[in-house]
Amino acid sequence: MSSPSGSTFQTFPEYQPDPSIRDDAIRDGHLNDCWQEFFDSCREHGKGILEEWRRETFRLSRERGLAYHADVSGSGWFLDPVPWIISIDAWSELEKGISQRSLLYDAILRDLYGEQKILRTGLLPPALVFSSPGFVRSLKGSLLQASTPGIGMAGFDLARIRDGSWTVLNDRFDGTFGLGLALENRTVVNQVLPDLFRRCQVRRIGHFFKDWFNYLADTTDARATHPRVVILDSNLEGSPESNFLSNYCGIPRAAAQDLTVRSGSLWLKALSGLEPVHSIWNRDIGVGFDPLGVPRGTPGGPPGAFEAMRLGSVAVASHPGVAVLESPGIYPFTDRLCRELLGEDLLVKNVKTWWGGEPGSLLYILENLHQLVIKSVTHSPIFKTYYGRLCSTDELAGLRDLIRSCPGKYVGQEELEISTVPTTGSDGLIPHRAVLRGFAFIDHHKNARVMPGGLARVGRADGSIVSTRSGGASKDIWVRGEIPDAPIRIAEEVEQSRIHVKDVVTSRSAENLFWAGRYAERTDFVARFAFRLIISSVLGFSFGRKLEKDHETLLFNGLFEFLDLKAWLKARPPFDQSIGLLLNDRSCPASVSFNLSNFNQACLGAREKWSPLSLHAIQKIVDDWNEGTNLVTSPYQFRPHLERLELNLAAFVGLNLDSMTRDAGWALLDAGRAIERSLTLAGLLDFLFSSAMTLPTETLLCESVLVITDSLRTYQSRFYSAPSRNLSLQLLLGVGDYPRSISFLVKRMSQNLAKLPGEDSRVRILEKLASLDKFIGEFVSKNQFSSAPAVLSEISEELQNLSDDLTKSYFSHASE
Amino acid sequence: MEVLRYRVRHQTSYKYSGRVDLCHSLVHLTPREDRGTRILSHRLDIDPIPDFLAEHPDYFGNHVHYFSIQSSHKALRVISLFIIEKDPAPSSPQLAGLAWDQYPSLSTTADESGVLFEEFMLPTGSCPLIDETLAFLRPSLEPGKDLLTLADEVMSRIHREFVYSPGTTETDTPLPAVLKNKKGVCQDFAHVMIACFRALRIPARYVSGYLETLPPPGKPKLQGADASHAWVEIHIPGTGWVPFDPTNNLRPGDRHIKLGHGRDYFDVQPLRGTFLGSGKQQLRVEVDVERL
Repeated sequence: MSSPSGSTFQTFPEYQPDPSIRDDAIRDGHLNDCWQEFFDSCREHGKGILEEWRRETFRLSRERGLAYHADVSGSGWFLDPVPWIISIDAWSELEKGISQRSLLYDAILRDLYGEQKILRTGLLPPALVFSSPGFVRSLKGSLLQASTPGIGMAGFDLARIRDGSWTVLNDRFDGTFGLGLALENRTVVNQVLPDLFRRCQVRRIGHFFKDWFNYLADTTDARATHPRVVILDSNLEGSPESNFLSNYCGIPRAAAQDLTVRSGSLWLKALSGLEPVHSIWNRDIGVGFDPLGVPRGTPGGPPGAFEAMRLGSVAVASHPGVAVLESPGIYPFTDRLCRELLGEDLLVKNVKTWWGGEPGSLLYILENLHQLVIKSVTHSPIFKTYYGRLCSTDELAGLRDLIRSCPGKYVGQEELEISTVPTTGSDGLIPHRAVLRGFAFIDHHKNARVMPGGLARVGRADGSIVSTRSGGASKDIWVRGEIPDAPIRIAEEVEQSRIHVKDVVTSRSAENLFWAGRYAERTDFVARFAFRLIISSVLGFSFGRKLEKDHETLLFNGLFEFLDLKAWLKARPPFDQSIGLLLNDRSCPASVSFNLSNFNQACLGAREKWSPLSLHAIQKIVDDWNEGTNLVTSPYQFRPHLERLELNLAAFVGLNLDSMTRDAGWALLDAGRAIERSLTLAGLLDFLFSSAMTLPTETLLCESVLVITDSLRTYQSRFYSAPSRNLSLQLLLGVGDYPRSISFLVKRMSQNLAKLPGEDSRVRILEKLASLDKFIGEFVSKNQFSSAPAVLSEISEELQNLSDDLTKSYFSHASE
Repeated sequence: MEVLRYRVRHQTSYKYSGRVDLCHSLVHLTPREDRGTRILSHRLDIDPIPDFLAEHPDYFGNHVHYFSIQSSHKALRVISLFIIEKDPAPSSPQLAGLAWDQYPSLSTTADESGVLFEEFMLPTGSCPLIDETLAFLRPSLEPGKDLLTLADEVMSRIHREFVYSPGTTETDTPLPAVLKNKKGVCQDFAHVMIACFRALRIPARYVSGYLETLPPPGKPKLQGADASHAWVEIHIPGTGWVPFDPTNNLRPGDRHIKLGHGRDYFDVQPLRGTFLGSGKQQLRVEVDVERL
């Protein structure tokens, strides 16, 4: 029964790659040594293990916020548990190639923004560079100093072709995607396959991050002993990568709107005031870094930023003019460029490419269109990539006309035969084509540092094209080492570096947290009010008495008054329509749907402050509501959705209590809730006191207010009497130990807002709260209920005033 | 031969309806010292006084000032005041001695300021490569025609066929609209002429500057009656950059005072800024060109 070790059937009978395509694990029936441990492990555990790994990987990546929109079937972003294992030798070849390519592209960049020798000597056609929207003329001369960051964090997409050699498919420098995902993938897969990870002696990637952060710190002006480094990523609603990276290393994330230039220096608009920024890890895409320097560009970063760069007061990596390097039009010239700029031969080739801007190449492209891949030289939302072999004759003719109309805009590329790697499928291992994204940067000694690992992306099972846009899965990359790497905790390393690590709350996230608190509370209020209306209408219907009818009308009118809907709506529509309006009409400025959407936006605006679980909870609040109420046709059908909404909101609040750091940001989130709730309470009590009514109606109305404020039970256990407005006022306004009373909420605000920075503003705000507290105390002790409406409206005014003061003092820095 | 001296005063005033707390600006209002011109004095007066002011050359070798004002203000005034000395313009050649369709490839060559000609041969946002340009140009494109003859002809055709009509276009009115409506101001006409020559792969650039205006005979010159002006330079191998003013149908000479050049208007926009604040802005520009 014995057969030579390494035969396919002996190692893992279920994995049978297509013999006509090169596979990275099994070739000519023989197992590539570096995969031995993996297949051993599969054999030990039996076939079911793959499914178990898959489920565990999915669970962990969802928990970490990596794959929230994905499902286990593989749509969306999906992480495959099977790593792409790379041998010591294969990696060593690849590492040299990546290293050289980083140096080459850095040299190209420095020349383009400097002397332009490569253009003058015809090594690179000037038209290719000058017609690129990524070439930022106002940055000329900004790279003259060797210490100024050039390519920053580079990403290279590489595939192994038939002969086993590596080929470059793409070069990415502008907001390089994937680094955070590589990090998360590693964390997850390491947890799923800990033994295998150890047995394979996988190289650790933490050291690479440590070097990178030290590099960022060292790019800054030497005069700053503890330079402030920020990760710039303005797309708050986009990929969570920047948050992963920020959490991993304890370096704050900023959006462009958080930055401002004053006197030629860059500052972060923080809750504590303007903080100097010395170094930026630039993960923003596009050339809009300084809208002043790029006329008619996409408005993005802070105006004056190029000036700050020019003065050397801030270092920006990657350089904001780096997008020019991403053109595949450079590919036909890389061999010569490498020889001229580095004095050596190009080690890893890029995919064979013809640029339409050269007459000879244009001719070739037009004649061989049916077997080429046609791409635009710039990222274009309009022009997709065409695979000649998949195009109809008509499509090819259209494409030919398009290319002829502006040949310099297009390249033709050879279509590569990309190797496969083992990937979990619905039933065992399946070969999938895979592309590796490697990462590298150039350090201060002009050495390239290459991450020993990266991000793998695999194509779909049908063997078609590998692309992140069309879904597909990702993988961790395991580079095998000679000896086990020492483990590393990056946050500690960063702490020990020069980098200024004190966490900072940006004004943007502070303001958004404050409003997230207010909108959460407002949503809750409208939902509870509407719920009560639905219940009371049912009661009114079943009793059919005037009393219930009066109560319902009063309550309803009260709500419309309270929500100030008169400006928006002339007359209140009939009951059913009104409920629909209040609940799921997104255009109604008081509806639950409207407030939820604002809540969601505010949460995303402070995205870096939430844990993955909180983000999940936020998403669930919104999704459950929107999906659940989509098909509701009558008020009563809202009931289960209102119950779920309440539960979801409570879970969100509980989660925050449980998991958020009690910093100034949290204080503002909670202050937002407390202010909104106090305003609601004051408004409801005012409503009780300003409507004339009979005693039975008063009882019913007070009961409603107590239900809406979730206080009926407390009332009953305290007073043992039918609800009256005087006692309701006592409970909801003045009982200091009752968490749902205004008095308690004011004390809670005082406690939390004492965490705010900025001595003057803090003292003023705390004084306001103290005097409000005293005012309430005095009123309650006097028991003069007749003055209630005036007192309540004064309280509302004071709270509104407080909210405005917070905005002026902490959220906007305009007049400093 | 007598040198010419000019004093130029260019005042830009903004009035804001609300308070402006922070403003950043780039200024292209200092003349470059091309051959035959010397700056005798130059001053940039900014009110309120900027918190930060710096100067550096731009990509094309023009002077740029950057300034920021970081305290609350309701108005901004920028005055550029300079005295320039010009040698009398050399007589412009009538013929290039080169046909437009025999133009050599200059792609990897640089002009006297070190900028590659290719920069001035490619389309830009204001001077795109479009069929309408070629359609306009076609009647003048006889094979073998001398390049300068062609340039003069295109210049005079723009002058003849387009209506000078201030207020009909904005700084960002697209070229197709200008070509269709045949209306515009000096800046639009310069863009049209540049687009024509770039379509032929002949280097053409945008010039920002001033033109001395002469008052009607017997009348005094009015203050602030002058304006910023724009014209075109086309590169003639062996001769250099030759200026053309399609707005006035003439080859610029003594009365044209150049500030700077670029690929189009946006490379040499006199004053570009962003401000943080609320409300609307009111802009007023006054220019005086005085021969000394």
